[in-house]
Amino acid sequence: MSFVEPSVERRSLRRFKQSSVGEPGTSVWHIVSNGLFYVVVLVAVGAFVYYLYTFQRDHGYLTLYLPVLLDGTRVTFIVSILSIVLATIFGFIGVLGRLSHFAPIRWLATVYVEVVRGTPILVQLLLWYYGVGYVLSTIGFDPYSAVFQIATALQSNSLVPDQFNAYFYGIIGLSFNYGAYLTEVFRTGIESVSKGQTEAALSLGLNSRQTMRHIILPQAFRITIPPFTNYFMTLVQDSALLSVLAVIELEHQTYALAFTQTDANIKMFVFVLGAMLYLAICYPLSLLARSLETRLARAY
Amino acid sequence: MELIQQALPEFLVGARNTIIYCVSAFPLALLLGLILALMSSSRIIWLRGPARIYIEIIRSTPFIVQLFILYYAVGAILLTVNLELLDNAWTAGIAILAINYSAYEAEVFRAGFLSVDRGQTEAALSLGLTSFQNFFRIVLPQAIPLMIPPFVNDFIYMLKDSAIVSVIAGTELTSVLNTWVTHHGSNPIPLYALAIVLYLLLSLPTSYAARYFERRARAAL
Repeated sequence: MSFVEPSVERRSLRRFKQSSVGEPGTSVWHIVSNGLFYVVVLVAVGAFVYYLYTFQRDHGYLTLYLPVLLDGTRVTFIVSILSIVLATIFGFIGVLGRLSHFAPIRWLATVYVEVVRGTPILVQLLLWYYGVGYVLSTIGFDPYSAVFQIATALQSNSLVPDQFNAYFYGIIGLSFNYGAYLTEVFRTGIESVSKGQTEAALSLGLNSRQTMRHIILPQAFRITIPPFTNYFMTLVQDSALLSVLAVIELEHQTYALAFTQTDANIKMFVFVLGAMLYLAICYPLSLLARSLETRLARAY
Repeated sequence: MELIQQALPEFLVGARNTIIYCVSAFPLALLLGLILALMSSSRIIWLRGPARIYIEIIRSTPFIVQLFILYYAVGAILLTVNLELLDNAWTAGIAILAINYSAYEAEVFRAGFLSVDRGQTEAALSLGLTSFQNFFRIVLPQAIPLMIPPFVNDFIYMLKDSAIVSVIAGTELTSVLNTWVTHHGSNPIPLYALAIVLYLLLSLPTSYAARYFERRARAAL
């Protein structure tokens, strides 16, 4: 016995069929509409390329500015790679602290994570460069001169950039910040491995170190990879903040080029170029993160 | 200590302005994010395509670059059409916070809608509800508890990201900090400590609220 009127039932059945069976791209209209959309996107991309081309044709700006910006891109890339390596080390130290059985070390690690995650990265960078850097320089530690002397001994001091202190504290600040986030990523990875695994390993006679190395870490690793890639992507973006410390990376180059322009269109052009270069670094990383996420989800 | 006492009133004004930035930008981001999420889960490619492109572009470019584009480049273009009044640090800051976060909120909304079991929609439609009723009466109420924790988290991120607005504005906490540091460069550590304490005062209670909501949402499931 049905409480619903037959006509309503039919209508809702039709709607149900539409919603579940009518996958996109099955009807002619869908195919036409999809095709039209891709044509429009293609036209838009073409128009964008033409927009870039007009600047090249009229003033030769593309060949003028692109090498400078690519220079900045190289610095951004190197800074990001160094930072993510250092951040991983910070993260490992942090997670060892958070999982430590010795309470004061655990508290210290918790304070590290909470304070770093609770304050803006910009403030931290300024603190590292102007605060810690200043205090260390008053007690006679200057990374630039130290490295300069070592490089002089190796007869290659021209390799040391003038802004070395900004690079130094910038990279430390960036990786110190991301170390806190990675600490949490690693911790959730390790804690998400079922407790039964540890118990089984221990009762099979493995010691706790072997359990960690052969049982827990390989499983935790798989869970950690997708968020790790995500953080790598945001780190590349946050490396743009190093521009406030006068590190000559992509954002700094873009800003320096654009700021001297008086013509609004050229200003926009330079910024768009800079944004495109960031897109070129970050979008592949985002694709990588997503493909890892789906692949690892399937592995389980 | 003296320095901190002198600096405190201005720092508090900065903290207030930080809150104003976030409280006005976050609802805008939510609204925009909801629209984007609905667009990107639509079957019509004319809605889905633009939303996906917007989300991908916003998520793969740095916040500070977007800020500069909006403030300097769009500002310069507004100047040529005599609309430069629209371009000040407040509107640019709030607008770019809202634009940037809308892309992230859209993803949160979409994940929330997807996490509601499809059987619920099927049951609602076969009981004769329209898809409009289904969305507002069935899907949304079940999705909202799941979405609150990520929203609160994103709000904390916004509290911190609003510091980046300081590169164009002279109003919020980090820019106040910067001015004070340039005037008292010989003794900057107390000023940083003060700013960090104020940021922690803003973000830690919110983060505890997030954890509380998360526990409640998990208990409700």
